[in-house]
Amino acid sequence: MAIGRVGVAAVPARVSLRARVGNLLDREEWLGPVFVSPALFLLLLLVAYPFCMALYFSVSNAFIGRPSHFIGIRNFVNLWGSDAFRQTFQNAFVFTGAAVGFKLVLGLSLAMILNQPLWFKRLIRGAVLLPWVIPTALSTLGWWWMFNSLYSVVNWTGLALGLMDPPGPNWLGQRYYAMTAVVVVNIWRGLPFFVITILAGLVSIPRELYEAAEADGAGPIARFWHVTLPLLKPVLGIVVLFSTIFTFSDFNIVYVLTHGGPINSTHLFATLARQVGLETGRIGEGAAISLYLFPVLMIVVWAQLRFVRKQAY
Amino acid sequence: MSAITRRHFLTTTTGAGLAGVLATGIPPARGQQREISYLCWNNFAPLMDKKLAEIGQRFTKDTGIKLKIDHIAAAQQAAKYASEVQSQAGHDLVEMRMHFPWLYEGQLIDLGDVVADLEKKYGKVLSSAAETARVHGTWRAVPQYHAMFVATYREDLFKKAGLKIPDTWEDLYTVGKELKKMGNPVGIPISQNYDSISTAGPVLWSFGGMEIDKDGKTVRINTPQTALMIEWYKKMFRDCMEPEVLSWDDASNNQAIQQGKAGWIHNPVSAYIVAKQMKLPTADTINHHRTPGGPAGRHETDVPRHIAIWKFSKNAEPAKEFIRYLLGKREVYDEYIMSADAFNLPVYEKLQDHPVLKTDPKYAGLKAEGVQYHCYGWPAPPSDKVQLITNSFIMPNMIAKAVTGTPTKDAIVWAENEMKKIVAG
Repeated sequence: MAIGRVGVAAVPARVSLRARVGNLLDREEWLGPVFVSPALFLLLLLVAYPFCMALYFSVSNAFIGRPSHFIGIRNFVNLWGSDAFRQTFQNAFVFTGAAVGFKLVLGLSLAMILNQPLWFKRLIRGAVLLPWVIPTALSTLGWWWMFNSLYSVVNWTGLALGLMDPPGPNWLGQRYYAMTAVVVVNIWRGLPFFVITILAGLVSIPRELYEAAEADGAGPIARFWHVTLPLLKPVLGIVVLFSTIFTFSDFNIVYVLTHGGPINSTHLFATLARQVGLETGRIGEGAAISLYLFPVLMIVVWAQLRFVRKQAY
Repeated sequence: MSAITRRHFLTTTTGAGLAGVLATGIPPARGQQREISYLCWNNFAPLMDKKLAEIGQRFTKDTGIKLKIDHIAAAQQAAKYASEVQSQAGHDLVEMRMHFPWLYEGQLIDLGDVVADLEKKYGKVLSSAAETARVHGTWRAVPQYHAMFVATYREDLFKKAGLKIPDTWEDLYTVGKELKKMGNPVGIPISQNYDSISTAGPVLWSFGGMEIDKDGKTVRINTPQTALMIEWYKKMFRDCMEPEVLSWDDASNNQAIQQGKAGWIHNPVSAYIVAKQMKLPTADTINHHRTPGGPAGRHETDVPRHIAIWKFSKNAEPAKEFIRYLLGKREVYDEYIMSADAFNLPVYEKLQDHPVLKTDPKYAGLKAEGVQYHCYGWPAPPSDKVQLITNSFIMPNMIAKAVTGTPTKDAIVWAENEMKKIVAG
């Protein structure tokens, strides 16, 4: 059977603007960039631009409100001559190591408890989130009152229970106590993030695996080591990665509790950068202090993402 | 010719008007209401902030210039000003403490005409205020008032124990030992705050020491006089104070005496004023005396506070008008000073015997005969370097190191190196 040719009359197609835009958005190569561009614009504006400015400041002798000149890496080199900076460098690792370590152990323990059948489970899970929800500056002010030498409820309780000798520890005035205080508050503040994320990981582990392990005679500890922990590793990797970054760059807790004192013993990169860059006007040096963190965090991110990928595949 | 429709008319006129505004950069007359903003510190005498708001409202009523007043904690000022300068945006008027006009010299307009008018009326500006507000011969800020540090003590405790008012810092050590035994130690902060510097300076000067020499360049902290001052602090810390002073902020010494703990502090009269206003039981027991002296005389820190106008402000003239309104009208200035209840006193010569000093017999100590007032860094002339040394808290950290175990010599050498770095930079 012959198939006749169907003639199509050449009608000049007048496609409306809306239709043309619609056609474009139907194509993936257009739609993708359109969706991504607002986020990209915000990233450029709020992250890339300040980061580039900080890079520029760090290699200049910028002083608030005065013309600046390029001085290469002199700021980075000179910082090692500063007693306060060397102390800060050490503080950052002690603070982050102690806080993240405790948050990991406590977070895992608490998440496992919350994964058990409990009364008022939802209420308790909600309450655990509270420290994460309250604005940090506000909650840290509460802690400041608790550690304050004149009004310390911690010391008052300790003395009342006979656990401390009068007048009790000088929480914010002695270097080791002050570091303990800022670490404790950071743990309190960051623990919910660990608990909730690990809990989500725990919930997703199939019950059958535990039942099989139990059938093979595995006790609670064996089940934890051979079932729970291996399956949680990717989640733990991500949680530790984020927490390390947040803890290294913490500012509020130290600023409100100790201002970096006593004698710079609790300064972190962010608080010292503020003091040098904003309070004393040496913004170039301040930017260099805050950027010292960058290579350290890059290494942490690289190492942990590598670890997570290994676990995932 | 087609008739003009309502829609066409509105579109054309709106477009043309908007284009005109955008091209000239001048808003239409209705939008031209003059408005200025003032960033002021959170006054340690809170009633003065209330009075300022009240005066601001009257100013708006009298002049038609809208005034917006924002407040900021003293500890936040430096960082806030730095961000305003860096972004070239923010308030028109700013309150500036001590050497701040030196730090932001290039960013502040010349206010010589306003100061000249005030000096004609009230007499010369006091030396410490003039030294800090007049930068390289130009008035970068208008001096408005100053707070002075005095000795604040618990009169009842002194009477009870038969203690003599200390005339020298050594006398204070003798008295302090007794006070600590009574459970009411001396409260001098040794921490990263400004009150620590305000006491460390007078003690250092009284022992004959200094941070920077008169030339403003030579670091002179490493001297036997500094060692004497540190030794004094060490024995005070050991025998007269509690370790809590290492964690104090600017308000802690006030709270310590107001709550009945400290027996002696070094502070402006704010501790007493607040106790009085809050009707605290200690208010009746607090009194003031002249600041102690030492072998090199009797020196004291005062904190002159000024008002300045940023160069980036587009409202310099209305802003000047506000300064003239607040400080240039005697009745308004008096009202403003009276509201602080002697915490902030006038900085003009003819106003030194101000009526506010007669409002309470406990302000007699504020007359402080024979006391020489200086700002931080004296005898070095005010400069940005002095401000940097102050804001880096080198002096309190030097003392804190020494009282917590670092050998005196090492603490001084540490401070010397830190100061030299700033002076060289």
